[in-house]
Parts: sequence; C-alpha cells; structure tokens
Amino acid sequence: MAISSVRAEPAPAPGPLPLSVRAREFFDREEILGPAFVTPALILLVLLVAYPFCMALYFAMSNAFIGRPSTFVGIRNFVRLWESDAFRQTFQNAFVFTGAAVAFKLVLGISLALLLNQQLWFTRMIRGAVLLPWVIPTALSTLGWWWMFNSLYSVVNWTGIAMGIMDPPGPNWLGQKYYAMTAVVIVNVWRGLPFFAITILAGLVAIPKELYEAAEADGAGAMRRFWYITLPMLKPVLAIVILFSTIFTFSDFNIVYVLTHGGPINSTHLFATLSRQIGLESGQIGQGAAISLYLFPVLAFVVWAQLRFVRKQAY
Amino acid sequence: MESITRRQFVTTTAGLAGILASGVAPARGQTREISYLAWNNFAPASDKKLTEIAQRFTKDTGIKLKIDHISHMGPQQAKYASEVQTQAGHDLVEMRMHFPWLYEPQLVDVSDVVAEIEKKHGKAIPSAYECGHPNGVWRAVPQYHGMFVCTYREDLFKKASLKVPDTWEDLYVAGKELKKMGNPVGIPIAQNYDSISTAGPVLWSFGGMEVDKDGKTVRINSPGTVQMVEWYKKMYRDCMEPEVLSWSDASNNESIQQGKAGWIHNPVSAYIIAKQRKLVTADGINHHRSLSGPGGRHETDTPRFIGIWKFSKNVEPAKEWIRYLIGKREVYDEYIMSGDAFNLPAYEKLADHPVLRTDAKYAALKGEGVQYHAYGWPAPGSEKVQLITNSYILPNMVAKAVTGTSTKDAIAWAENEMKKIIAG
Repeated sequence: MAISSVRAEPAPAPGPLPLSVRAREFFDREEILGPAFVTPALILLVLLVAYPFCMALYFAMSNAFIGRPSTFVGIRNFVRLWESDAFRQTFQNAFVFTGAAVAFKLVLGISLALLLNQQLWFTRMIRGAVLLPWVIPTALSTLGWWWMFNSLYSVVNWTGIAMGIMDPPGPNWLGQKYYAMTAVVIVNVWRGLPFFAITILAGLVAIPKELYEAAEADGAGAMRRFWYITLPMLKPVLAIVILFSTIFTFSDFNIVYVLTHGGPINSTHLFATLSRQIGLESGQIGQGAAISLYLFPVLAFVVWAQLRFVRKQAY
Repeated sequence: MESITRRQFVTTTAGLAGILASGVAPARGQTREISYLAWNNFAPASDKKLTEIAQRFTKDTGIKLKIDHISHMGPQQAKYASEVQTQAGHDLVEMRMHFPWLYEPQLVDVSDVVAEIEKKHGKAIPSAYECGHPNGVWRAVPQYHGMFVCTYREDLFKKASLKVPDTWEDLYVAGKELKKMGNPVGIPIAQNYDSISTAGPVLWSFGGMEVDKDGKTVRINSPGTVQMVEWYKKMYRDCMEPEVLSWSDASNNESIQQGKAGWIHNPVSAYIIAKQRKLVTADGINHHRSLSGPGGRHETDTPRFIGIWKFSKNVEPAKEWIRYLIGKREVYDEYIMSGDAFNLPAYEKLADHPVLRTDAKYAALKGEGVQYHAYGWPAPGSEKVQLITNSYILPNMVAKAVTGTSTKDAIAWAENEMKKIIAG
C-alpha cells in the first residue's frame, strides 16, 4: 500500500484581530471585569456614604456652627451632650421606642405572616393591601394619624367615647408623655409591620412542606410544629429583619417630627429629631452631628453581632 | 460656505477667550436673573401679590426674578443650612426674627439699602433692630412684621357679660367663666413657637427674663418667673384644658375658628382665615389690646426680613428688588394691603397704615403703649440665646410646672439648662 505523504500547508500567519474582538478579550479578563463592575458602586458608596459619614465625624468633633469657621474640639460635644437633660431623655426615649416598636412588629409580623401563608380568598389582593402602610410616604400617613390623635378632632377618642370605653374628653394622646410615646410607637408599628410580615412570609414559603408532613405524622401539634420547625427555620430571616428594623427604628424621624415634634417636654424626642432641632434649627452643626453619631458604636456592634449570627446560621 | 476674514476671526476668538477667562458674559444683551426664597405667607393673597409685583419688576428693570415659596415653619431652616454649607442656592432669602443673627457672617451688608428706605418710611421698628442689626450692621432689610395680639370671642364675652381683660390677672377672671361655658382659654404649652410667643410676654409682664441684656447672665430664677409660673398653673387648672400640652402652632387658631376656644393669643391670622372661609365664628371674633402685668405691657413681635447671601453673584440686582418692593412707597403699600393686616409695615412712619382701617377689628393692632420684642429679650439674639429658644426651655418649664413639678424645681431645671447652654 502506497503511503502518500501529505505535506502540511504552513498555517497563515495570524493577522491583527479586529479592535472589537481585542476589546472584548480585554474586558473578559477577570482582573479587569471585576473592578469595572465594582467601581460604579464604589464611587457611589464613597460619595454618598463614606464622604458624608467622614464629614459628620469631623463636624461631631468640632464646634461647627452653620456658615462659620470651626475648630477641632475632640470629644467635647459628646461629653457636653450627656450633661443635657433633653439629650439624656432622648437617649432613654430611643431605647424605649425602639424596644417596644420592634417587639410589637416582631410578634405581630410573625402572626400576620402565618395568616397570610394560609390559603385565603383574594390572596394576592390581601398581600398587596398589607404593604400599603409601607408604601405610602411616611410624612403623609403620619399626618393622617396626627388628625386621629389631634385633641380637637380625634376620631380615636370620638369612637372610644361613642362606644362607652372612654370617658370624655378621652386620652390626651399627644400631650401626656406616656400616651405620646404610645402614639408614636403605634404609628411606627403600623408602618413597619408590612416589612416584617412580607419578609417573614417569604421565609415561611421557603420552608419545605415535608418537614411539617413528617412532624404531623409523628403526632406533633400546631404549637410544636411552630416551635420546632417554623421558628428555627425562620431564624436567619428574623435576624436580618430585626437588624434592619432596629437600625431604621432607632433613626426614625418623620413620625416623631410630624406627630409630637419631640414633645411633650422632650418625652418623644429621638436622636434624629433632636439632632435636627439642635443642628439645623439652632445652627449648632457640631452638636447636631454628635447627637446623630452618639449611638454609632453601639449600632455598629449590633450589626456585627447579628451578621455574625446570620453567617453561623447559614453555614 | 461664507469665508471669514482674518479680522473677524481675531475679534471673535479674542472675545470668546475673554468670556472664558473671566467666566462672565458681557453685560450688553445679557439677561440678569435673580432668585428669591420666600415663605408661604399666612395671608395667601400676599403671595399672589408678590408674584404680580415681581412680574412688574422684571418689566421695569429687565431683571428676571424667580420666586420659590417654602413652608414657613421647619423646612426653611434646613434649606438655609444647606444653601450656606454648599455656598449655592438663592440670591435672596426671606428670614424671620433672629435669622440675620444666626447667619450674620453669610449675609451681605445691606445698611445702604436700609438707610435709603428709612429716609422714606422712617426708622425701622425696634424689634427689627433687635433682630436684623447684629453688631451695628444691617444683615437683612426689614420687610414687614406680624405682631401677637389677644384674639377673643366678643360674642361670648358679651353673652356672659365678661369684662374684656386688660391684665393677665383679668384674663384669669374671665377665663374661669369661659371654661365653665365650654369655651376655655387656648394658650399652647408645647414644643412650638406660639408657646414661646405667649410665655415670653407673660414672663416680661411679670418682670422676668430668661437671660440679661449682656447675653451671658441667666436670670430665669427670679420672683418674676415665680409669679409667671404660678399664673400659668392657675390658668391651666381653672381656665384651660390639658389639650394645650399637645398643641401645634396652628391648634389655637383652629380651636377658636371651630368654636371651642373663647380666647387665644395669636396674630390676626386666626380671624383672617375665619373671615376668608366664611366660618360662623368669624363675626364673633375680635381683638383687644395686649395684656399687662406688674412689669409692664409687653408683646411678641415677629419681624421678617429679606437678606442676600454673600455667595450670590447678583448682589446689586438683588438690592434693586428690595428697593423696588420695600423702597417704593406705592409698591410697598400695595404689598402690605394684600396681607390683610397680617403683614404690617416694619417702619415707624407707616405705623398707622391704611390696612388697619380696612376692618374695625384691626383697631387693637395699633398697640399704643405696648412694648414689642423678639424672643429672648432683653438678651441680644446670639446663637446661644437662639439655642435656648429653639430648645423650648421656657414652655417646657411651664409644662413641667402645670403637670406636677413644683414651681421651684421647674425654674431650677430651666436655669440649669440655660446655664449649660450659655457656658457651652
């Protein structure tokens, strides 16, 4: 058998690739593509978070007054603030307000999520409606609440008196410190409940049905199923929801500003409202910044601890 | 394509280079434009008139004027602060009370404009000097003022044969009867400006003060303050209802307009709005002279100003607008008349303005024998006095006392808080 040898033709020398191909190859490299995707977000973070935060830090440690040159005063603002009765009251208010509001939102949020998880009529419509308080601009909805608690027009008191459960003229909702705190907590719970309910609902939907079926087959009742299956499976979701809500509730502004303006006698002031009163209304930017940053170390620790907990739960 | 000559080329490019280098367009053919941040006036017709005058100003001077309105309470402070911090925003700003003190280093010296206006309309009123003339320099031009006045239901007083009060003690006597009739006295004791606007005059009338005129010595712990607090306590107990502890700036107006309160302390806006909305209470509402006490007859005045930010690149056109609005008598009269006696002239020669004769119920606004002051009087409007005011220490002291804290402890608390601010 004759073997014919085939002489291989030399491959043509590769010509320069078109520019578009070269650009694509360049951007396909991970060391280029990664930073390219991250840079816009990084720029936004630096401009909108890091820069204002550093400025706030600088202001908090200065005697800055609007439109005037300032000097560095170290931690003097933080020390002076603690000497102020209004600030100490605000400090206490922030913990009472946040603790009460988050606790109610958690309990009611889980209850509402469990209800929404049941097969109901008009499921989609009801789930959409539940979100309404969260969707309406807070200042606007709080104005509605302000009318309901208003001493002259209070529909809450009118209804209570008409039903015979309140003595005329009814509670002085915004003028008595315990009632005023109750009022701001109620509005915060009303507004924040949908966030809890919908997020927890998402967590509930993700729990495998087989777990409940197995537990039911083993004779576990509703309470035991909730305690041993639902709650443990919801822990990571709950941790994240509580974390976010704690931060948002601590830094709430609109509800108190519209409803009570911090009164009566500073009994509902929160860090944000007091900071505005001192920093913007009175021009003391340094003190205002110090008020808003006072709890930063505590909140930073809470965030760290909760995220650590979530990571442990996840892995 | 048309050819361009060497001469044309040189002229055009040199001109462009000049504009680029200076950053300023040539004056010839340039439209000058200024912006003005004004408040929503309590008398809404006044805002419409301002727009109308601005259009005429543009027609007469060729200067375009853009007016932005902002809510009168709250948001404007955040707006001022952001404009100052960023050194950008409006050329002109409307300011109330002590704002010229607060923003003194950021405001253009307008002493020349005020001097011209004073030659025409007479000296600016004392409260305008207190607030707009820090350290001997006018930082904002007095625009108008709105004074607090006693507003009462004349029909109810007549029905119960009550004497129109002349002193704060007289008010207590009438107030007891009003409360029995279901029409209590409505003086807010809350964290708002109206609370300070009443607490100040009561304190001054009983001979008290917060800080002395040196601006450093806290004088709240005095026999005058004790009398003032005791007066509030009996008023709260016998003449008012606890709702006053939750009131906003608008609540006393609403209370008298809706037929509940029998007496309130407020500018004439409560009556103006009742009249405009044709409320059934409008006919029964009237005003009477400010009340006196052992320390005299004092009243809160709220002067308003127009200031020009130093960062403005249009200082001269901005001054032209102020001269046009306030300096021209016929324009100023037209503007004041549109405010239906809420906006009163801020100059002494115009004190007896025709606007006061448009309604017999404005007679009390002439205020003979009444001393008008801004918050914190007699202390000058420094940033520390401003902080004392904005921290609502005075109304909170009263609120503490009427809700159970002893007079002595409430005053001691206020003194302590004020001293800390002054020391800070």
